[in-house]
Amino acid sequence: MANDNVVDVRGIVQTYPGVKALKGVDLKVDRGQVLGLVGENGAGKSTLIRILAGIESPVDGEVWVRGERVNFHTPTDAQRAGISVVSQEFRLVPELSVADNIFLCHEISAGGVVRARETRDRTQELLDLLELDVDPGRLVGTLSVADQQMVEIARALSREFDVLVMDEPTAALSAPEAQRLLGIVRKLASSGKAIIYVSHHLDEIFAVCDVITVFRDGNSVWNGSTSKLDESALVELMLGREPQAFVHTLCGQDYHDDDRPPRLRVRELSAPGLRRAVDIKVHPGEVLALAGLAGSGRMELMGALAGDVRAKSGAIEVDGVPVSVRSPFAARSAGIFMLSEDRKQEGIVPHLDVTENTMISKPWAARKGLAKWFTLSGLENSTFMTLRKRMRIRVPHGQVLIGSLSGGNQQKVLLARAVESQARVMLLNEPTRGVDVGAKVEIYELIESLAEQGAGVVVSSSDIPEVVAVANRCVVFHAGRPVGELAGDNITEDNITALALGQFKEVSHA
Amino acid sequence: MPEQSVLEATTVPTAPSGATKPRSRRVLGSGVIDSLVVAGPLVAIVIVAWAIAPNFMTGANISNILSNAALLAIVGFGMTLAITVRGIDLSVGSAQAFAACVTGISVNSLGVVPGILIGLLAGVVVGALNGMLVTLFAIPAFVATLATMTAMRGVALLTTDGTSVYISDPHFTQLATLSFGGVELSVVVAILLGIGTWFLVRHTTLGKHILAVGGRPQAAAESGIRVSRVLLVVYVLAGLMVGIAAVLLSSRLAVVNGTYGVGLELQVIAIAVLGGTSLAGGRANVVGTAIAALLLATVNSTLNLLNVPSYWQYVAVGLILLAALSVDGIRRMSKSRTGRASQAGGAA
Repeated sequence: MANDNVVDVRGIVQTYPGVKALKGVDLKVDRGQVLGLVGENGAGKSTLIRILAGIESPVDGEVWVRGERVNFHTPTDAQRAGISVVSQEFRLVPELSVADNIFLCHEISAGGVVRARETRDRTQELLDLLELDVDPGRLVGTLSVADQQMVEIARALSREFDVLVMDEPTAALSAPEAQRLLGIVRKLASSGKAIIYVSHHLDEIFAVCDVITVFRDGNSVWNGSTSKLDESALVELMLGREPQAFVHTLCGQDYHDDDRPPRLRVRELSAPGLRRAVDIKVHPGEVLALAGLAGSGRMELMGALAGDVRAKSGAIEVDGVPVSVRSPFAARSAGIFMLSEDRKQEGIVPHLDVTENTMISKPWAARKGLAKWFTLSGLENSTFMTLRKRMRIRVPHGQVLIGSLSGGNQQKVLLARAVESQARVMLLNEPTRGVDVGAKVEIYELIESLAEQGAGVVVSSSDIPEVVAVANRCVVFHAGRPVGELAGDNITEDNITALALGQFKEVSHA
Repeated sequence: MPEQSVLEATTVPTAPSGATKPRSRRVLGSGVIDSLVVAGPLVAIVIVAWAIAPNFMTGANISNILSNAALLAIVGFGMTLAITVRGIDLSVGSAQAFAACVTGISVNSLGVVPGILIGLLAGVVVGALNGMLVTLFAIPAFVATLATMTAMRGVALLTTDGTSVYISDPHFTQLATLSFGGVELSVVVAILLGIGTWFLVRHTTLGKHILAVGGRPQAAAESGIRVSRVLLVVYVLAGLMVGIAAVLLSSRLAVVNGTYGVGLELQVIAIAVLGGTSLAGGRANVVGTAIAALLLATVNSTLNLLNVPSYWQYVAVGLILLAALSVDGIRRMSKSRTGRASQAGGAA
């Protein structure tokens, strides 16, 4: 081969039962280049990555690495060919130490015996490179999600590789950590590695990538130099149409004049992970956003409100009535619904259909007559069909398995579940994580309509533009405590970022 | 080579201070603490037994407890590995009877050394069969080994035609009680196998792969571990352990028959779980298994000395098993409450 292409993907086709995930995609990346692979969810990026990682074999098409045709049957084949993958779903074993995880399946060993000391030293070098301050002997299960993400990255770097594939590597990272990672990506590229960088964060793509390949509906629809595109042109390529703008209507309303009791009132709540007791109020019709970095306390607060973790002290009231949330069930009974940030593990029930997934949280009291005891398919189906229309869930009928849907559609079904749960307080964690740009806006509209119907909505999000888009009021957390509250026009990305980073004084009080 | 340049291309910041020392001690420490959890009740039971059971602290009784514990522990090490990969081996009792019968017949007809080798092979064959059922046919270990348990019981009875076979060779029958400075061969073998299994789990690549497969099978597979091969090896090792215990048992008793080892599987599951090996997989505690074997052997012996009817011994094993399972369950629950990240791996 005359060119520098380290990886040359030609006409890859991949099908799953009933779905054509890739319809013949092409992708090329050179040494020293960072290629941004973008596309909506379901566009086929993850499928291609799984093929490059040797986890799946394509139905048709060719993969060339350094001018040689390759056929990966196992992950080990891909590693031998010099492809190292940072997977979006962590391939970490919680019961093994950081060092053992990093060198899992390519242990530093002699005669089958692991050389512990060398493993630890090499691990320390990698952790230092990533500026990650954790003990190589610590069990991975005890690390935060962000640290696990860094360990997953360290693991990819521990192998000998020419090509590094990074699938949403910053999804669980805080902004400074993400920045640091982008620096490392650039350095790797300048040392001659080829990098395939997959992200939903377009600012990262523009910051770090030399070239961009856009996937849409299983096709590669565009590739070229980053400098030829701007953000809106890229979004248009991803969507295949012009993006809709989201304008929210409730902004600036003053709920404090409302004489109804708040939907949710939290007094002096202290919980594990919070370094100060928290007071918050959410009024009917209001969207309160909680912003802050990972580990800042907002997720811990949500967990305590949803009954995932027991609060140490403090009181929670729903509509002025004190409630006890000792378990998720107790929270649910008290009228609190939570949407987990981990949709796959804690949200969807993948082997049930969308109707069943919608109905699963419907309280006993809200079921009438025979429906208390039996699932009346006609009734449930018509309820779902109404919700499908209202929430623009894209499924042909109510018997589609939720596991087969795209992230955005799954999330809409879960919001339909929230509606059916008839909860008065909705706790939404990362409502658009892993959701593509088009569906994002629709989900914002749904959140707004949940509030319009009188629920008190709390959105906890690491996505600052999202907070700006949905919040009527915003409480920002830093280092285990709420450090500021923003309302109306003060909810800006700059203000939130400043507060989240602990720069309280620079917040403008315009 | 390429990765060398990764490290060179980037400035390596100075290591965070104080982060280098305590690491290996931590991992070791947690294992020691887990073992102490079992050692506590063991000491308590020994004290109680000493106080209430006549002749408990006699050389003969202690030696009897030790060799019973040794045979339990040897099978227990195999079970520990099986449970660590989220599996189980219910066939150990029947397999032990089968291997013992085969050993007895072979020693009588072919001599000591071939007899022992064939006995070990019998254990390995059952283990390999279990392993193939679990990997090739993807049968859940619980039902696969339940089936082999029933089938091998029948085969064991068939080999001896339902009767007892006496082993006449004195070289063979003296083997198990061969003394090494007052310690019987079976105890020595158990200690060596214990150290071997501990080393396997802690310090070998295979051991890491076993923990990985048990902790998160999907992650292990996507990391390039050949999961079915690991499972196969584990069941073969479990079978080998059963074979070793069967040879020692037939040497000790000098007579074999197809009814040996009824209910052994529950005793052995009890000691593995009591020892701190999690049914959720990914956590093996070999030292704990050995200590728990001593505990169970002490309880059995004490009940014998007190002339408690053997029916009560079933009750005792059942209660110990339930206690061990409850502790394991509570530990998993508290784990999933504190760390949501570990939940997926923690829940069985």
